[in-house]
Amino acid sequence: MEELKNIAPELSKLKKENAFGTPRGYFDDFPARMQMKLEAEKNVADKQEFKIINLLKPALGLAASFAIIFMLVYIPIKTFIPQEQIIQTTVSNDYNDQFHTILEELDENSFFSLLESNDTEENFSDDDLVAYVSSNFSAYEIFEYTDK
Amino acid sequence: MQGPDKNIISDLKDKNKRDLAFHQLVSTYQERLYWHIRKIVMNHEDADDVLQNTFLKVWRSIDNFREESSLFTWLYRIATNESITFINSKKKKNFMQMNDVSEFLMDNLTSDPYFEGNEIQLKLQQAILRLPEKQRIVFNMKYFDDLKYDEMSEILDTSVGALKASYHHAAKKIEDYLKNTD
Repeated sequence: MEELKNIAPELSKLKKENAFGTPRGYFDDFPARMQMKLEAEKNVADKQEFKIINLLKPALGLAASFAIIFMLVYIPIKTFIPQEQIIQTTVSNDYNDQFHTILEELDENSFFSLLESNDTEENFSDDDLVAYVSSNFSAYEIFEYTDK
Repeated sequence: MQGPDKNIISDLKDKNKRDLAFHQLVSTYQERLYWHIRKIVMNHEDADDVLQNTFLKVWRSIDNFREESSLFTWLYRIATNESITFINSKKKKNFMQMNDVSEFLMDNLTSDPYFEGNEIQLKLQQAILRLPEKQRIVFNMKYFDDLKYDEMSEILDTSVGALKASYHHAAKKIEDYLKNTD
């Protein structure tokens, strides 16, 4: 107070009265009003806890979407596409697989011995040769060839 | 920390006793906090809103109160911060400059049906409203609430030296206003 007298003598002369007022009974009612506000706050907090489900909603939605797509694509394919078509595809695939298996099993030596073997050569007579030439070439072509 | 405050805090941290302890806390501190807030925001309606927000904040953060300061100091700090936040939100909402804040608070004061002061008291409030925010709060806490500088230092997180300087400047400015204004 002494400090204030030195700094601000006019101010120190003023009475320190509370110039502000409140509605009648304000402080009597306030704790009850505060309690009501608090209850509302608690309800909001409870609801916020339930909102955890909101966090899971996108993931659940995504999972449901995949399930629906699976149901819409896989089940109609299985139900409506004829079984024969599926079997044909399987058979053609099987044939290719078998051919590849044979080639893989064939070793190099056996392949070359097959090429060199004379199994494919045939002996034919002069008459057969004449018959083949006369049926496939004209007289002029034969003459032209023998003239050379 | 004093006995009753210690009991209130321990009861507030106990879920079974929390509601009753909170009621006790509100009853004990509502008036002191209200007047502190009212001198910052000036208007009863606004002070009522800020006081409710202050107690709600206390409710939400009671588990974080580490009892390093007294309950009273902690409550005062929350009330001060809530009051400043309230004024800042008004400032942002209405695109106000610093001078406009003083005018806004002056309007708040003159339009408040619960201001019961006489002409001299109105003049004193006008002088206080012309101060920068921090000086205004320091002056109110020292002049009206008779708080010690140590307590104010804890509440406002400011050094005692800085608080003394703020109070000195504020008192000088108010003195000048009282002397030089009719």
